[in-house]
Amino acid sequence: MELDALNENVDAISTLGARLVLVSPNTIAHNQTVAEQKKLACELFSDPGNTVAARYGLKYTMAADLKALYQQFGVDLEDYNGDASWTLPLPARMIIDTDGIVRYAAINADYTVRPDPAETIAALKTII
Amino acid sequence: MPLQDKLDKHKKDFEAKAPKEALAVMHRATKDLVESGIMARTIKVGDRAPDFVLKNTGNQDVSLVEFTGRGPVILSFYRGRW
Repeated sequence: MELDALNENVDAISTLGARLVLVSPNTIAHNQTVAEQKKLACELFSDPGNTVAARYGLKYTMAADLKALYQQFGVDLEDYNGDASWTLPLPARMIIDTDGIVRYAAINADYTVRPDPAETIAALKTII
Repeated sequence: MPLQDKLDKHKKDFEAKAPKEALAVMHRATKDLVESGIMARTIKVGDRAPDFVLKNTGNQDVSLVEFTGRGPVILSFYRGRW
């Protein structure tokens, strides 16, 4: 849902001279499927083992009972992510300027809460 | 419909049919994560964004600086599915 909402705003982001870049722990093969299904108009990167997410302070390991529940639900994170670490990134959306500095960061430890793309675009307009 | 409204609806629909025990595990995991202090350790406004090289869906290595060299970047980490 967040990907769809962001993808719908790719043109608005490009018009402002910015780029949308997505990073997921999923394998390249799974990312390719998502990119095709959702007709993504932006780059989607694979971050194996959430190594890059860790450098942004976003990586965490799923609790054992939650892992068991996902397995019971048939969510095979090991297949999606190509590793057995059962780690995930906190969902995080940020704006990085041309000097490489973070100018906006919307991060929430509750993965069911995401900022609206309109909020991010409004922030982008104050930066460019 | 705003993104959060869609997410809230999805969550409500899921929780209406999910087993109570499963929801208890999920809610506790989120609560524990919130209380773990992870938010105090995340990257913040004003920090330098660590550069990285990752593979895109075309199996090509691309670095963050290749993008930031051309303009601002909206960088979104997501977990898959949600």
